[in-house]
Amino acid sequence: MIEFASAIAGAALLLLLTAAVLKGWLASHSLGPGSTANEEDESEPCPEEFVNRVFSRSDWEFVRGLKASGVERLFERERKRVALVWVRQTSAMVRKIMREHAQAARQSKNLEFSTEINIFAQFLMLMGVCGILSTAIQIAGPLSLGGLAHFAQRLSRRLSVLQESLQAGGPANTAEARSA
Amino acid sequence: MEIPERIVTVEEAYDDLSRRTLSRISGDLARLIYLASTRDYNTGEYRHDGLAARYRAEIASQALELAHRQIFHRIAGYPLDELVREVELYVSSSPQSREEILRVWQKLEPYRVALPVNVNVALAQLLVSNIKLALVILRQGQKPKAMVASAS
Repeated sequence: MIEFASAIAGAALLLLLTAAVLKGWLASHSLGPGSTANEEDESEPCPEEFVNRVFSRSDWEFVRGLKASGVERLFERERKRVALVWVRQTSAMVRKIMREHAQAARQSKNLEFSTEINIFAQFLMLMGVCGILSTAIQIAGPLSLGGLAHFAQRLSRRLSVLQESLQAGGPANTAEARSA
Repeated sequence: MEIPERIVTVEEAYDDLSRRTLSRISGDLARLIYLASTRDYNTGEYRHDGLAARYRAEIASQALELAHRQIFHRIAGYPLDELVREVELYVSSSPQSREEILRVWQKLEPYRVALPVNVNVALAQLLVSNIKLALVILRQGQKPKAMVASAS
């Protein structure tokens, strides 16, 4: 009887987890409320300080010091929304880089298998991180996810630099790709 | 002999704008609103007669856009407590009633049109969101500690 209850609880937990991951994945791909159509093709990159500001606790400490529960709730809602816009933007940017890379790779005559595998692995990892971030932000808010957000930012920047250097060509760049 | 036309750079016009105009406006939020007001709603072009008379209209427009972007980036990076102080400075230095401005700003959200074009979407969302929070904080009569200390 206890085993059956445990199995039911386990299945329910798995179902909940799957639903949360799916929700996060969908949120990181779709343009939901609060986002705009130019998240992908906007011209200006996101400054590095952005992640520090949105995912850090300093503004939260200030809001908590005000001792106003209404402001606290609004802050949590607003920060969640802004953080999700950033995740969607990062995810869209990475997909765009990969599309451009795939297009360039189709026309290239000297593809290196190891470099391509490396780029694809980084792409998959970033999409995974964006999905996890999205889910975690929706569940718990962005304040304790600074480390993961910084990791996603570093990885997306690296992928962007890698794609740019591969487009420019040159043997030094492929060496960089292998080491990345 | 033909005298070559002096080459004026955007930086020169920008320095002029900063020195003569922007330095006289108190607070970055007020500067942001001022610079946005020099932009034509239909064309997106920036216009400033005085600056255009000293430089060319095109150079003046570029200098205004540069200043607008720089102020936007600076203010978007402000911690929330500093932004609350900026909003307080803006509303208290306006000739209209403080409460009325706070109420209208919350309702109409005019600061949304004060953003430069093609800036990073997430950064723009952060600034809009922080201004929204600052308005709620100020309407509830909450003030950051530094503001309370300087007032007493």
